[in-house]
Amino acid sequence: MQVSFLQSGAVSQAEHRWVKCPRRQHRHQCVPWRELQIIALSSSMQMLHLRGHKFGQHARRSRTPQHPNMAAVTRLCCVLRLSFEGVGTLRALGGAAHFSHLARHSAPQYAPVTAALQQNRHSSFFNKLTADELWRGVLAESGAGARKGRGKRTKRKVKKDLNRGQNLGEGRAGYLWPGLNSPVYRDGSIQKPSQRGEAEQKEVTAALERQRDEWDKRRKTKIKRERGWTGFSWGGISLGPPDPGPNGETYEDFDSRVIEVKSVFNVTAKESRKRSISALVAVGNGNGAAGFALGKAADKNTALRKAKNRAMHYLYYIERYNNHTIYHDIESKFKRTTLRMKKQNKGYGLRCHRAVITLCKLIGIEDMYAKVDGSVNLLNITRALFHGLANQETHQNLADKKQLNVVEFRAEQGALPIVVAQPQLGARKEPEVEDDVPNTRLHWADVKASQGVKRSVWAGVKRTIW
Amino acid sequence: MQFTTSPSIPSSSLKGGSSIHSRSDIIHSMAAFSFTRCLVRSYFCVKCVDHVQTRLQTTTRMFCVSTSRSTQFTDTEVQDILTKITGLDLKKVFQPIRQQLTPPKYKLMTDTELEEAVRKAEEQAKHLLKMPPVLPERKPINDVLSEDQMLEGMNTAKYVFTDINFNVPHRERFIVVREPSGTLRKATWNERDRIIQVYFPKEGRKITPPPIFKEENLRVVFEQDRHEDVLNQCVVQFEPDSAEFKNVLMLTYEDIEKHGKYDLLRSTRFFGGFAWHLVNGRRIDGLLVDMLQRDLMQDAVRLVRLFNLVHPQSESAQHAQRQQATDLNLLKIYAQYESNRAGFIELAVQTYEQTKAPSSF
Repeated sequence: MQVSFLQSGAVSQAEHRWVKCPRRQHRHQCVPWRELQIIALSSSMQMLHLRGHKFGQHARRSRTPQHPNMAAVTRLCCVLRLSFEGVGTLRALGGAAHFSHLARHSAPQYAPVTAALQQNRHSSFFNKLTADELWRGVLAESGAGARKGRGKRTKRKVKKDLNRGQNLGEGRAGYLWPGLNSPVYRDGSIQKPSQRGEAEQKEVTAALERQRDEWDKRRKTKIKRERGWTGFSWGGISLGPPDPGPNGETYEDFDSRVIEVKSVFNVTAKESRKRSISALVAVGNGNGAAGFALGKAADKNTALRKAKNRAMHYLYYIERYNNHTIYHDIESKFKRTTLRMKKQNKGYGLRCHRAVITLCKLIGIEDMYAKVDGSVNLLNITRALFHGLANQETHQNLADKKQLNVVEFRAEQGALPIVVAQPQLGARKEPEVEDDVPNTRLHWADVKASQGVKRSVWAGVKRTIW
Repeated sequence: MQFTTSPSIPSSSLKGGSSIHSRSDIIHSMAAFSFTRCLVRSYFCVKCVDHVQTRLQTTTRMFCVSTSRSTQFTDTEVQDILTKITGLDLKKVFQPIRQQLTPPKYKLMTDTELEEAVRKAEEQAKHLLKMPPVLPERKPINDVLSEDQMLEGMNTAKYVFTDINFNVPHRERFIVVREPSGTLRKATWNERDRIIQVYFPKEGRKITPPPIFKEENLRVVFEQDRHEDVLNQCVVQFEPDSAEFKNVLMLTYEDIEKHGKYDLLRSTRFFGGFAWHLVNGRRIDGLLVDMLQRDLMQDAVRLVRLFNLVHPQSESAQHAQRQQATDLNLLKIYAQYESNRAGFIELAVQTYEQTKAPSSF
């Protein structure tokens, strides 16, 4: 403990002289002079030993009479700055049992001084401050370290309620106070305060110890968090159904999934960089209704909650062919992100970017191939996907637009023509003009894949777990 | 009609030895082989009934067999009736088969184009519905070529010598077996099938017949209503004139007849053979009733007409001949004289007439 000594200024005979607090940060505050016990030491060193030192609080004046030693040091004016190892012995004070609990762990060490250091306090900062205030001092949540994101992630101390398990009346000595820890009446007569036996008291304290250890152990057990796309990422993690609306409507059949969680900074005038968490969450019921939204807040849980509830206000309805795939190949572009989606047969699976897989599962699409070209920004991918799927042309729309029957030919059914849509106003007489060479743009990667020239081992992977 | 003369087989082309025949023997055996070859070569590809039909007709003319008077499976009229009662349900004929799936293709078509596509599909369906042939059971081969006592005990196993020339039809191949006792004999039909499958494997055919064709396994499969799958496998595995083929077919037909599951085979290529089997056994009541229940009046009439063709000596045929009956009268006559379920048939005919009569006005 580093002790700093200050110059004791004008010393007077007054009993309640207030001197400046020796601690650096409380230098502007005063403590009663009587609290300092200055013991005269050898001629080489003069040390001021402080004990039971109050932090910035003007406590009530102590009622102890003036100590005889006080007079001896009134003329002391020397200030020495000394540092010595160890903590002074702290004898147990009347009151908090936990204080002794803490005291047990501190090893008494003494500095190499000739005279003994005697500390004898009846009250100290421990019992003059509330539990919340003490914990605030220990945890140091709002210090310079916590601001501007300087705090270390792993060095957080956890607040523990020390009053848990304490009963009024229970103490180390094991007295039985009727009304507090023993019944007032027994066999009709009023009980008097008594004491428990040694063995019984030992038992009681041991039981209390065991209970506290069990609580500690339970607090320390880590709950395993569900894994998203990778071990640490929040992408793909389900947040459950969105919260019920203000008029009591529930969204139990909707599931929400996180797409992206990232911390973003905004430079403000007051604080230089203001950090906030941005969460992109998508909701869907697996039956064509889905939507996505972005939520921002200072902490992660709030941001996720905001995004999840906001997404319910921005739903799309997406038509699917036979409830398992899209109607036709789509190429949708949003900003610098291009998303090429291909219709597939049943059983193909979702062979897409992991974000696209999550979104398709929420929409209810089961078989599709998708390729993301250009930028891989997740928000842009989401928007490209929803815009492309929302602007699909169903078979009925196509038939009505072209005034022709839409006929499907499946390889596994031979030459059988299956009419999937007929125009409402009847088909026209002129057939559709088709070029010999179809007017579609080919992509080299797809050509390679279809010809079997592609050498990647991940080419035809069908993921079943996401 | 020509006979294709087969080339004479030089002894060097045969693996191992064969006993020497006289030239006339060879010619006679060649002739016999050739006509069966022409006959059966067409059966080999089980879809071509037309060739078969001409060959059989000519063979009957050639050999003056006593069956020339009675109707055969391959008669034009019989085939016509059988194809008509088989029906042509496109959805059932073009059922999705188990194969690697691909995404479907779409075309925009006018009504005429659509009709054209449907017509093409029906043509392909007709091709798929060609019936497997109904042949008399093949006679067992018991031909011993030579007996060599001095070779007895030399080998512990039988040796099979096969002619694996590529241009020899399978029915004409020489496959001979040398027994440990020294006899050299021609291979039996089962051995022939097995050996030919070893050297000239056919897709889907196994060397030993799979256990599905055992009776107890067939029972299980029939309970699952998979008669068509069994029959398809049977056609691939066995030759059409083999005993096992006929046995499996008969078991299947019996099971269908017993449980009345006639609809399973409708619109498949096995319905014709099934109806032929029933008609020959004079047991068309169940099928008639099923047709009437499904309001297939025309099919019922055709079935009765087929019955009269096959059994011209039966009472219903004679009465129909006398009265020159047509359509529903045929049904009535049949119900009166031959059927066990007369009441039901007559009632069905009456209700049909009642429903038809007001609509015709």
